[in-house]
Amino acid sequence: MKAERDREIKGSRDQVPGWADPKSARVTFDQWLDLFDRVPDELIERYHYYGNGEAWSKYLFPPQTFSIYGARHLRRLKFDNSLAALRMWGFVQNETERLFRARQTGRRVIATMGDLGAVPVIVNSFPGCVAFYPDCIWWTPFVMESRVLFDAAAELGIGDATCFSRAALGAFSKHSYFPDPDLVIASTGASCDDYSGVEQLVESFAPDMLWVEEPLRGECRMSNDECRMGGASERQALIEFLKREYERVVERMEKLTGHAITEVELREGVRRANRVRNLVARLRDLAFRHAALAALEMMVVEFGNLHYYSDMGEWTAVLEHLLGTAGGRAREGERVLPEDALRVVWVTPPADPLLLTYVEDAGARVMGTEYVINQALEIMDESKPPLEAIAESFMAASLIGTSGQRAKSVIRQARERQAEGVIISGILGGSHCAMETRLISDIVKQELDLPALEFDVAPASNEIGRQLQTRIDAFLEVLRSRR
Amino acid sequence: MELIPRVTFEQIRWERLEEIAAERRKGAKVIGYFCIYAPVEIVEAAGAIPVRLMRGGQAAEEAGERYLRADACSFCSACMGNFDLDPAYKQVDAVLAVNTCDMMRRLPESIENHFGIPVFQLYMPRTSEPLPHRVAEFRRQLDILAADLAGLTGRSVSDERLESEIAAFNHLRAMLRQANDTRRANSPLLSGSTTLDLTATAWLLGPVKAISLIDEVLRMVAARPRPETQRPRLMLGGSMLTEDDRWLLDLVEEKADIVTDILCTGTRWFAEDVPGGGESGNGEVGGQERVRSDGNPLDRLARFYFSRPCMHRRPNTDLHTYAEELVREFRVQGLVYKTLLYCDPWNFEARRLQEALGIPILHLDTDYSTENREQMRTRVEAFLETL
Repeated sequence: MKAERDREIKGSRDQVPGWADPKSARVTFDQWLDLFDRVPDELIERYHYYGNGEAWSKYLFPPQTFSIYGARHLRRLKFDNSLAALRMWGFVQNETERLFRARQTGRRVIATMGDLGAVPVIVNSFPGCVAFYPDCIWWTPFVMESRVLFDAAAELGIGDATCFSRAALGAFSKHSYFPDPDLVIASTGASCDDYSGVEQLVESFAPDMLWVEEPLRGECRMSNDECRMGGASERQALIEFLKREYERVVERMEKLTGHAITEVELREGVRRANRVRNLVARLRDLAFRHAALAALEMMVVEFGNLHYYSDMGEWTAVLEHLLGTAGGRAREGERVLPEDALRVVWVTPPADPLLLTYVEDAGARVMGTEYVINQALEIMDESKPPLEAIAESFMAASLIGTSGQRAKSVIRQARERQAEGVIISGILGGSHCAMETRLISDIVKQELDLPALEFDVAPASNEIGRQLQTRIDAFLEVLRSRR
Repeated sequence: MELIPRVTFEQIRWERLEEIAAERRKGAKVIGYFCIYAPVEIVEAAGAIPVRLMRGGQAAEEAGERYLRADACSFCSACMGNFDLDPAYKQVDAVLAVNTCDMMRRLPESIENHFGIPVFQLYMPRTSEPLPHRVAEFRRQLDILAADLAGLTGRSVSDERLESEIAAFNHLRAMLRQANDTRRANSPLLSGSTTLDLTATAWLLGPVKAISLIDEVLRMVAARPRPETQRPRLMLGGSMLTEDDRWLLDLVEEKADIVTDILCTGTRWFAEDVPGGGESGNGEVGGQERVRSDGNPLDRLARFYFSRPCMHRRPNTDLHTYAEELVREFRVQGLVYKTLLYCDPWNFEARRLQEALGIPILHLDTDYSTENREQMRTRVEAFLETL
């Protein structure tokens, strides 16, 4: 049995010479600085982005480095104490610099917006092109504890009563958070309004913009059962539709780069993206089943499937490193959170990462997520033509169907991992949150008889409000009392 | 003095609802729909009765909060509430919803879940460039809709029937355009408020009865002398304006003339005709031919509805162009832009639209509550003083 488990949990914690992780734990910001003092110089020299050995491309820095440059919220979080996690944080926090370096070193920088996971697979198949999601700027006001981007968005017409994704508009207007993209590929359609509105206003900052349609997955029909649950022919029609949209992406990229892409290159792009998705699938399993990684790191890991933090090769290496660490922990029975922690599924990613830290500190652990990025977690079928494979995986997208379908994903995970409760975080004024939060909550409660906590993430601040703390505490108390 | 007292419209509509109830008792099906993208011609061709669901109101909004969060748009909340409260909504056998904005896209699921009313969600691509595969997908959706409606009513949608309905609704559109055109004149007799009543009543009556009503209104306009006074000429824009928003129009029209609008419950429904077989598009605004003709009726309907401008389309250049043309053609001096709280597609565009139009704008962002009406009055009056 143990051998079988060992086979399943691949990777080794001894993969980095000159370094041994301390016993796994979540540590504070200050404790991380102490740990970083022990990291030998050779290791700091070892990790570079964009696959080169130049001094400017190092990224193994402690969270303190980024806090000094404005990411003040990092001081309040708790981090995994492994080298792999430190490497991950350095790599992720370094992304703005990396994007400007991309431009400086002659790469083309493509902003992909809205679809969360599919278009970068195509863009990254083109040599010398880097895709990134301005969408992910929505964490920035929280990490920076600053309203600067929200205020900039407000000046352009998007005020406070809407999703935090408006920060992306502010970032476009500031020209400082990423280089002005060579091309913006904006996906919209059966997606959220807030971001579609952001995309529309971004158009004035984008000299070259391509609109891509995301079709609605037909799940609400009066009598046509074939269509009702996305039957085979309905599904195939939408896949064909998406293929046409992706062909336009390919054409525009060819025009931009002057490079006629081959099927082999696209296949390779799909294969590399699948490599990442597979690694993340294994990490999810290790984190959710064995508590080998905490929720904060796992949120960063999952969202890496969107655009690989602008360097697919190095992100893959970071994930392999994490997998080695998490696999080793699982094999040795080490956990970052207590075995008896309350088991919750988290629905919709919290814009404020401090919430994950808080919930874990309060005695729970996240062992299932529905972070509106199902499409980026799907493994693509490499036996199919690449655009078809990408389109097919997109059909799993969280936001293109009904709330009932999202609820099913939550229910499946909750059953699989014996969850004791469901936390649904939302955004006041977020278009899909307003309509689906209560529906998902109702469906989950009916189907599973589990308590569900719904709350809206408060605007960027340096702490979690007392009222919300009380609600979370009370919710966890209820879960505890049901044991 | 109004051309037609409001009570007359209310009487006409009450009688029509009575008729609909009688038809339902004989087996007719009522299809509720919300927006200008709903192809009413197909609904009629399937033998069903289309009823536009366009009520708002504070009581309904509050009732709707039983089902939706407080930050759902007021129209969606009111819609849920009206399924509990409104006699027209209670007659609905099925809902035809088009996935326009995010909230309208998700509303049908709540209706189905809470009221057990079957819904058909029609997928309209949000991207506005009419690429062949996009129009083809919408055309495919219309096929599924026609089949579903036929399943509900037991009557298949034939080409002949569709052609007949297209002609009937085109006639209705033409009549509404004609009525609307009377507002080009100085001191128009047809107020914005009456136009909203007339249009809403026309949708409920259906083409045949509505056309004779509009004919009568046009005769009244022709017979009555226009006042000499000159008042500011305004355009209305923003989120869906419901039958319960007349108070705002009345307020504005105490001191100004509302001469046109870019509303989905206004001119955008009748600005153009569905081209007949072999004809070209009959664009009212700017005379642009936006819709190719030829093809069978479902093809033409697909192309026609796909090309309707709306703020939620991406890019929404067509709506901006539409607004600019109306400002020019109707000599508009100011825009009253009423948005609903949490209505992102219209809220986000207020600033950009003002910049594009270059006229003063009064942006009122509110829900259906009545408590703030005096504040609104102050803002409207202040705006009118600046013109």
